[in-house]
Amino acid sequence: MFKFLLRSSLTALGLALLAATSTLEAQLRDVVSKEVAVGRSEAALRLEFSDDGALEIAFEDGLVVIDGDVVGMFEPGDQLEAAWRSLLGQAVSLDDGELAIMLSDWSVPAGLANDLADLAREVDRALEDALSSFEITVSSNSSRAPVTVAGDPGSLLSLFLNATGELGLLGEALAGLRGEFAIHVDEDVVVPAGSTVDGTLVVIQGDARIEGEVDGDVIVVDGTLELLEGSRVRGEVRLADARLVRNLGTVEDGLVDLLEEERVNESEIRSKIREEVQAELRAQLRREIRDMTRLEFSDADNGFSLMAPFRSVFRGVGELVKNLISILVLGLLGAGAVAFAGTKVDTIADTARRSPGRSAMVGMAGTLLLIPVWLLGAVALTVSVIGIPVALVWLPLFPLAACAAGVMGYVVVARNTGEWLADSEYPWTGWIRKSNPIYTIFGGLFGLMLAFMAANVLSITPFLGFLTGLLAFAGSVVTFFAIQIGFGAVLLTRAGRRNEWASTYDPDAAWERAMDVDVEVDVDETADKVDEDSDDA
Amino acid sequence: MRKALYIAAVTVAVAPALLAGQSWRTVTMSHQIEDNSEIRVFVEYGAGHLKIGAADGGVLYRMNLRYDEDIFEPVSDFSGDRLHLGVESIGRGFNIGRNKQSGELDLEFARGIPMDMDLEFGAVRADIDFGGLALTDLDLSTGASQSTIDISEPNSVGMSTARFEIGAAEFEARHLGNLNAERIEVDAGVGQVTLWLNGRWQRDASVSIDMGLGALELRVPEGLGFRLRKEGFLVSLDSEGLVKRGDWYYSLDYEDADRKVTVDLDAAFGSVKVVWVR
Repeated sequence: MFKFLLRSSLTALGLALLAATSTLEAQLRDVVSKEVAVGRSEAALRLEFSDDGALEIAFEDGLVVIDGDVVGMFEPGDQLEAAWRSLLGQAVSLDDGELAIMLSDWSVPAGLANDLADLAREVDRALEDALSSFEITVSSNSSRAPVTVAGDPGSLLSLFLNATGELGLLGEALAGLRGEFAIHVDEDVVVPAGSTVDGTLVVIQGDARIEGEVDGDVIVVDGTLELLEGSRVRGEVRLADARLVRNLGTVEDGLVDLLEEERVNESEIRSKIREEVQAELRAQLRREIRDMTRLEFSDADNGFSLMAPFRSVFRGVGELVKNLISILVLGLLGAGAVAFAGTKVDTIADTARRSPGRSAMVGMAGTLLLIPVWLLGAVALTVSVIGIPVALVWLPLFPLAACAAGVMGYVVVARNTGEWLADSEYPWTGWIRKSNPIYTIFGGLFGLMLAFMAANVLSITPFLGFLTGLLAFAGSVVTFFAIQIGFGAVLLTRAGRRNEWASTYDPDAAWERAMDVDVEVDVDETADKVDEDSDDA
Repeated sequence: MRKALYIAAVTVAVAPALLAGQSWRTVTMSHQIEDNSEIRVFVEYGAGHLKIGAADGGVLYRMNLRYDEDIFEPVSDFSGDRLHLGVESIGRGFNIGRNKQSGELDLEFARGIPMDMDLEFGAVRADIDFGGLALTDLDLSTGASQSTIDISEPNSVGMSTARFEIGAAEFEARHLGNLNAERIEVDAGVGQVTLWLNGRWQRDASVSIDMGLGALELRVPEGLGFRLRKEGFLVSLDSEGLVKRGDWYYSLDYEDADRKVTVDLDAAFGSVKVVWVR
């Protein structure tokens, strides 16, 4: 299709240049799409034409914009804007031909001030230039080719010649030619030996083979040229996007390659790009080498360095210290809780000890419901409007309270664990004094985090990665359940305020714990024995 | 239609005065018919008053849109055989309290150009007339709307299935026979649905209705072969003029009718009423 159009256009042009008969007729372009947009600060018109052209004129925020370029300013509500809005008002109900006629008939409103009149003329000219088209019908004995060009008729030929890259090149190739022409489009030409072509020979999209003489110039566009032995060109040879495949003849006025400059420029651009890419690659390589070197000296995980053998030691000791600091912080928090809310801590601890299963279930359920409760509470408070101030407090405080409950629960379970360890006869647990909650809390924390710390120590040694992972997993499980049980106990006791889940008072157990003896006392039997003794007496 | 356009023209001309202190914007777009064979049309409209009809002249589509530019932006994209029209929310501004119902979208489409129509709208009052359009496919989805669909002229091209998906709505469809559809599917949530089975049926057709909660009124022209099957939990059926055979309710002249329409109804709660019209 393109080839056909190109051939038709070029033929028309060639014939036009040969001063064939031609007619010029002005007409309006076909408007295929219209958009009128009117708002408080905008009144815009956008047109699309059947030949893919477009026009956009907008009066927007005090500026007149034509095809994206600001061409002037107006005062909102002034005469020009009113006239423009009136024009758009008429444009709304019209399409295609009627619309084009109405718009092209628009003229500068009378009574406008100088600046506004100039601006109106600019708009009028834009409308007329965009809406007008010109049709040239070029005729010769053999063919008739209509060519339609939009815009100013004065620039018609230049528009035509510059419509595409190919046509622009053709225009350059044909520039300044006079006299007779012989144009061949899309066909090969052979000038046999012994024959002479009078005037200029133009070959477009074809190959020229010259064996005889050309009494003028030879112009080849988008093809090849062969000058055979004995051939002669009395004028100039011009090549436009064409190749000279053989040059054995004589060219009197020399050879011009119209794309040579372009090719040189292209070559320069290519070499420039190559240099830039090379420079960029070199810079990137330097950066990578520098980064690798820096990593080497900064004791990175990868690569060899002098510090490599000690990495695992540092890492293991570091993690161990972190865990010890955690124990210290949690222990201090626990001590504070015991000091300021000892009774509540006792209630929570008793509940966790007496009902660990129930506490764990409640803890897990509570954990799952935390986020929904938080969100629903926030939404409910917000929707109620009155509760918006409360929501502002709810949003940050609820997560804080949940975290505090989790920490408190964990510490309480640690205390229970410490008491259990104090009763046990495991090595290194003798220092835990059951009567002192501070000791039991710290002891329990050590107990709960023992697996983590053992994993830290083992990570120092090589080849025990699996065991380290296993211990870390065990520590995670213990921590998870400790938190769930503790959190559940906090929830069950309403932070230690309700003790219905704690144990009821058992005087025997209390006596047993107080005396720390392992003796069962049957009260009834003892009373009977006392009675018998008294009878005997 | 001319009158409406002139009214629009006057509105545009006096827009600065009308729009003082508001953010309303009026956009009019139109596109001429070129070498269009079949186009796929997608219309989306959130809130306001929607009107759809057939265009006269050589216009492929014409859109008159009035919208609040603080909340919406117009959509008009015609590339290849796809045409996308409507408004989209731009998420700017605080929408609560805005009078969304004041927006208007008036659409016209060319007669005779085959169109695959897909309409989606939300809280919209819709007056749609597909009469004169050449519909090859129809998908209509509404939210909480009050919609009246009419097919005032027969569809010149047939379609296999027309689908209506209705949310919480008052929905009325007239001249469904003119749709020239082999199958019509109605999926209604909550609301009042009135289906007119009049119009020119060019073939036997089936209508599938799936309703949640609401009232369904089937307006059946006399002479049309009509049968209905009902499934549902608590659905009352006013079956005057119908004879029950097995699971089906038949019109008296079902066997002799030139065109037969089968309605398969599945509803949860509600009432179904069959009204005979001349």
